[in-house]
Amino acid sequence: MSSTPTDVETSRRPESIAERLRSVDPWMAALALSSALIALLVVSPMFWLVREAATVDPSRAYDLVVTSQTAWITVNSVVLMVAVTLLSILLGVPLAILTTRTDLPYPRAWTVVAALPLVIPSYIGAIAFVGMFGQGGELDTLFGVTVPRVDGLSGAVFIITLYTYPYVFLTTRAALLSMDGSLVDAARTLNAGPFEAFRRVTFPQIRPGIAAGALLAALYAVSDFGTPAFMGARVFTSTIYWEFGGFAVEYAALLAIQLIAIVAVVLVIEAGIGRDEDASGGTGDGSTIRLGAWKWPAMGFVSTIGAVTLVVPVAIFTNWLVRSEGDRIASLEFQPEFALNSVYLAVLAALVAAAFALPVAYYSGRVNSTISRLLERATYLGFAVPGIVIGLALVFLGTRTVPSLYRDGVALLVFAYVVRFLPQAVGTTRASVLGIDDTLLEAARTLDSGRIETFRRVTLPLIMPGVVAGAVLVFLTTMKELPMTLMLQPVGMDTLVIIIWEAQRGLYYRYAAIPALLLLVISGLTMIVSLRQEGYEIG
Amino acid sequence: MGQNTGEVGDRRNGVRRRQFVAATGVATVGVLAGCLGNGGNGSGDGEEVGGNGNGDANGGGDRVVDAEPGGEPVDSTAVSWDDLGDLEGQITIYSGRTRDQIDPVFEALEAEYDGLDIELFYDDNDVQVNQILQEGEATVADLMYSQDPGALNELEANDALQELPADVVDAVPASYRHPDGLWTGVTGRTRSIIYNSDRLDETGLEDWEELPTDIMAFDTDDRLQGVISTRPNSGTFRGFIQAMVELEGEPETREWVRGMIDHQDVQLFSGGSSQAEAINRGGDDDPVVGLGNSYYAARILNEDPDAPIRTTHTENDAGCLFSVAGVGVMNQVDDPELVAEFVRHLLAAEGQEFMMDANGEYPVVEGIDYVGPLPDLTEINPPEFDLSSFDMELQDAQDLLTEEGMTV
Repeated sequence: MSSTPTDVETSRRPESIAERLRSVDPWMAALALSSALIALLVVSPMFWLVREAATVDPSRAYDLVVTSQTAWITVNSVVLMVAVTLLSILLGVPLAILTTRTDLPYPRAWTVVAALPLVIPSYIGAIAFVGMFGQGGELDTLFGVTVPRVDGLSGAVFIITLYTYPYVFLTTRAALLSMDGSLVDAARTLNAGPFEAFRRVTFPQIRPGIAAGALLAALYAVSDFGTPAFMGARVFTSTIYWEFGGFAVEYAALLAIQLIAIVAVVLVIEAGIGRDEDASGGTGDGSTIRLGAWKWPAMGFVSTIGAVTLVVPVAIFTNWLVRSEGDRIASLEFQPEFALNSVYLAVLAALVAAAFALPVAYYSGRVNSTISRLLERATYLGFAVPGIVIGLALVFLGTRTVPSLYRDGVALLVFAYVVRFLPQAVGTTRASVLGIDDTLLEAARTLDSGRIETFRRVTLPLIMPGVVAGAVLVFLTTMKELPMTLMLQPVGMDTLVIIIWEAQRGLYYRYAAIPALLLLVISGLTMIVSLRQEGYEIG
Repeated sequence: MGQNTGEVGDRRNGVRRRQFVAATGVATVGVLAGCLGNGGNGSGDGEEVGGNGNGDANGGGDRVVDAEPGGEPVDSTAVSWDDLGDLEGQITIYSGRTRDQIDPVFEALEAEYDGLDIELFYDDNDVQVNQILQEGEATVADLMYSQDPGALNELEANDALQELPADVVDAVPASYRHPDGLWTGVTGRTRSIIYNSDRLDETGLEDWEELPTDIMAFDTDDRLQGVISTRPNSGTFRGFIQAMVELEGEPETREWVRGMIDHQDVQLFSGGSSQAEAINRGGDDDPVVGLGNSYYAARILNEDPDAPIRTTHTENDAGCLFSVAGVGVMNQVDDPELVAEFVRHLLAAEGQEFMMDANGEYPVVEGIDYVGPLPDLTEINPPEFDLSSFDMELQDAQDLLTEEGMTV
């Protein structure tokens, strides 16, 4: 092909393919390619679902899809998802404002308390809650005090919210910290009331942050098995487990695909809400809201949440530790390896997820195209699928593709964590990419800084808080992951949560006490370290 | 959550089997040599996939069934570990049982034999089965230790198991194992009625002695309305339903399930632990009575001897189904002699006694007497079943429950 003149006059003519290729920015092409590869990699387990579901006899498949039971669990799942999401916003956003925009004493400590419920498996929270507050529970026995019965769908909503709102809290908090607070002051000087200022200035700025957290909460709610099962709520996950129990994996796969279809709708909706989102701008601090005497009820509020979600489980287990007269069970006795294994796996998952998230988030944050958005959205699918399903898919795919890694070393397990938890890193990283002020990059370019140089010295430092926040989220959720860990662990690699689960299912709660406490301590320390890198000053 | 028992069947629709054939077909590198041809299961479509064709070191004839005893063979009397061959090497076990159930005997074995290394993977019983079926010939397991026969039958139906040596098979009564020796029970237990002994006045009963001893009365007895519970997602419950169909008929079983739901307003639990805990806790809305496995109650009493939870049983009906926990050997094992000798140890006197002691379960080997707090089996008089084949297949029992709405 002959080359065409490249003057302005001719640029409107249809370009040849070669021309278009030449005009493609090689950096962006590489970025797009790596995003595509990563998206493909983490979506790959879904092919197993299709393969399994395809073995179902079509008429039977049709029956399964259209039964009233399926309609029922669909409604329940959607109600669960929507309710948990809304309640998480109602809980998470005020807490985020409280810990970032007010003069609440010890904001860092309260931030840790408000975020920590994320590391407790919610079904453990459910068991502990009923054991403490329910009829016949500890408080009932001691003081005759009970709360209304918590069960069914509403019970599941209540408990899952308590352990899921931190997603909204953390992403909203990050958005609040990165927004230009001085805008609010400007609004106030223009005689806008505090609520008016929030609605018209703050809210639009933090809306993408809220949406990102709400999405994670929604997907977590719909993929959780333990709590709906404990509460007796019939949702998609319980039916998937029911089919699992009948060894009808192909039906379970079909149900999982239906679940993914619902989630896909949510992802599209959220893509609309979270749009755009150019959150760039200054980061002036703005003035803080003075709580005055309100700081006491504020602290009381956060303390109550912390007590119910964090202290109660540990207290229930510790109570058994003290009171139990049971026999010793050798392999449940606490060993430091449990904690080391948990941390080791969670660190690896966090690092790999952060690395995987970077190209996907950067590409979709910088290039607003259908493809970039699609790739980014694709990474969310794994988070909506119950761990047991992803686990089984990787059992099949792992034994076929990398048999030497199967149950030997942690590679496959870490990959499983990344498949499920990558969106947590993608979401936060992308939010920080959107926050980059383009003028900075242009300035760097005018100073003859190369692409790599600019990325390393300007972009990366700017988005680092988002990358770290994402890695921390992945770390925390990996710490509490159970089903995939059981299915893919190398032999004997027991984690804290495995021991908690064993103790719970065998009714040996005393053995859950130390692991549960350590889970909180380790996660809390991790959070403190990550908050420190934000460098916000605390009194 | 995976305490199970009692189902069966060579099963199942051709769909399932084709799927497994396809799955293993992908991985099958070697030739399908040494097939056991477990015979007769499935609809017979597809080729045999039971061989040890994974390209490993083992030759075709190197099967567990041919593994000569390292010492004395086991039989239906109490053979001692001292008379068996030594255990040396590494054995990998997928366990659907919980740690407390199997730790004592495995600890004792490792203490007895310095060269023995037992690698254990724990998970829910049902998950272990699904995982092994997905792994196909690439499984790292030598042995599956299952809570219930249904899971082992499922593995067998998919040609995932190989035959056990003759002395092992003969040591266990025929109803507690697979007829061709593709799996064997190790210990047994009956299903039970669990109740909170402090809450008699919340039932219509005058005395706990008045609890029906016939399971077929539980769906209609007004005195239990609103206070009874069960857990329909366990292997033992599916086995219980299969047994009821066999003893009473399918329409009667459906009626029973419907009666439990519509008339008794049965509370359904998704876990045995949470059911036993709720009964023990005794809140106003918690159930007073439950159908389930007795070992949860035993564990609660072990932790807290003052707990109000108690167990009893029905008599000679599906409600006291005697079922086993047992083992099946995977098609492909590295050291058939070790695996065979390991199973012998489970069926020898010490193995049976450790399990009996740790789990409150009955031995399956006739020459070993049950010693413990449970009533004598002759008193309960559970009905006899061939645990490897009920009239109704497992999936059909599952479907029955789904259709009648008893699901969690």
